[in-house]
Amino acid sequence: MGWYIVRRLVHAVPILVGVTVVTFAVLAAAPGDPVLMMVAPEQQNTADLAALRAQLGLNKPLPVQYAVMMTNLVTGRLRSFRERRPVAEIIGGALGPTALLAGLALAAAAIVSAPVALVSALRPYSALDHVVTMFSLLGIALPSFWFALVLIFVFTDRLTWLPASGLRPEGVAGYSPALVWPYLVMPTIVLALSILPLLVRYARSALLETLHEEYVLVARAKGLTGARVLGRHVLRNSLVPVVTVLGLVIPGLLSGALVVESIFAIPGIGRLTVDGALARDYPVVMTTTVVGAALVIVSNLLTDVSYAFLDPRIRFD
Amino acid sequence: MSERVLPGPAGASSGRRGRTGPRATPVRRLLRNPRTVAGALILGALGLSAVLAPILTPYAPDRADFLARLAPPGPGHLLGADHLGRDVLSRVLWASRTSLLIGVISAAVAVGLGVIVGGIAGYSGGWTDSVLMRCTDVMLAFPVFFIAVMFLALFGPSIAGLIVVLGGTSWPPSARLVRGEFLRLRQLDFIAAARALGASRLRIMARHLLPNVVAVVVISVTLRVGLAILAEASLSYLGLGVQPPTPSWGNIIADGRDYLLTAWWVSLVPGLFVLLSVLAFNLVGDGIRDAFDPKMQT
Repeated sequence: MGWYIVRRLVHAVPILVGVTVVTFAVLAAAPGDPVLMMVAPEQQNTADLAALRAQLGLNKPLPVQYAVMMTNLVTGRLRSFRERRPVAEIIGGALGPTALLAGLALAAAAIVSAPVALVSALRPYSALDHVVTMFSLLGIALPSFWFALVLIFVFTDRLTWLPASGLRPEGVAGYSPALVWPYLVMPTIVLALSILPLLVRYARSALLETLHEEYVLVARAKGLTGARVLGRHVLRNSLVPVVTVLGLVIPGLLSGALVVESIFAIPGIGRLTVDGALARDYPVVMTTTVVGAALVIVSNLLTDVSYAFLDPRIRFD
Repeated sequence: MSERVLPGPAGASSGRRGRTGPRATPVRRLLRNPRTVAGALILGALGLSAVLAPILTPYAPDRADFLARLAPPGPGHLLGADHLGRDVLSRVLWASRTSLLIGVISAAVAVGLGVIVGGIAGYSGGWTDSVLMRCTDVMLAFPVFFIAVMFLALFGPSIAGLIVVLGGTSWPPSARLVRGEFLRLRQLDFIAAARALGASRLRIMARHLLPNVVAVVVISVTLRVGLAILAEASLSYLGLGVQPPTPSWGNIIADGRDYLLTAWWVSLVPGLFVLLSVLAFNLVGDGIRDAFDPKMQT
């Protein structure tokens, strides 16, 4: 198992390098000049612009620029064009809100999907099951940014119960739950709802499949109680496909966080990416992309590793 | 997902034609699935209203009438008017042309690229397969929406840009699917027979392998259109997609964002169109999958 993880991590290196090459190619091919974005038009004179370009290393040949950027990325010395601060610092500050939001949404979706999928799978094709299926179909088709506006309209504009922007009241720092929770309710609901239907669908079909296994029939025939059959035989064996889909939704959560953070003005990774790209802050864009890709790779790895814990028959060596 | 009628013994069919037995062709199965029919009807209505938008709409989509600013739904403006006094119904119907077209074309581009990459990888095998699949892994590691935002912010938002980025980033799932199918098919006897008869690689791929993945391709395209419509709407909402004055569902929702309290209908109506169209494409896609290939899951 240890070797398997090491092998997978080694395997991830060329993938991450590929991600940086593609990202750098897009940045290099893009029209527009980061230097012109940083200086007000009336202050632009050729000598200053050239000096600034030299300071940022943008006057060097592209392969050199790539090599410098990669060296700085690996050693953590990459600096933002705009803010002149280390990118690591900026990303570090933005990671918290995104992780909090994504974690809450994942937890909420998992907690809601389990009982819903269970009642749905225990009585397949019943009225209740049809209602659940209909809601999942609607949920998959629901544009999350639009749903966010509907929530803002109801809970902020009409009822004035919840704030619609930011992560905490102005002038406050940190993540004190008492102050932060009203700001997180709507973003969490929107983000959780964007993955919930998929979780319910997968969990339902996994449960249905397990319920038809012969060992479940045997367990029933032995006279085990319904709860014991469910708890010991059905739920446990349905976990593997559910974990797979959890791994699959993590990239979706990142994309969803980007939209949700933009709408609710939450200072996370998603907003940082949008702002960084619009301002042509290449180091920031490169780092957020690499961080995003690394998250996707790690979540895939965790998914595969968790199989072995959930199903002792699966061996990797 | 829904109950499927298994082909029973011949002659066992009950009153309705094509219910079971040899007459239960995939097409009949498709037509008897109420969800698929509902989806197809919605799609038909949406498509027709998009094509007939110039005839159906009471106003030009960009005609501003300042006396009707933020007018609520009523006789003059069936679905109200926006902050410039433009008729919401007219704008939404014109927008469906843009949004549906972008959705369908970018889905077709994505699946087309997937078929090319997956087909070459699956048929060639060996070294080519490894390289192509590594590229697919790299693309899969990108959070798709991140690269879409980055690309459109850097290159400037446009319809062509949207299609390039949506098509160019979402091909890996189809590539994997087609590769898997090709790997399975090329082991079968009819391919060996074709090869023995001296058919070229290109001919085997085009005439013998491709026709066998048509169902998979149609299903992938249909299901991907929904995703593409959602992505287009989100990007246009963020200001990175279709640019005003061209109406798209996403940018009409964005127009209404600042007037939620006074004119909620501006954002509500296009959102419902997005919801309905994505739902309809998914219903039809799921239906085709169930009817043609009950085992397929993706």
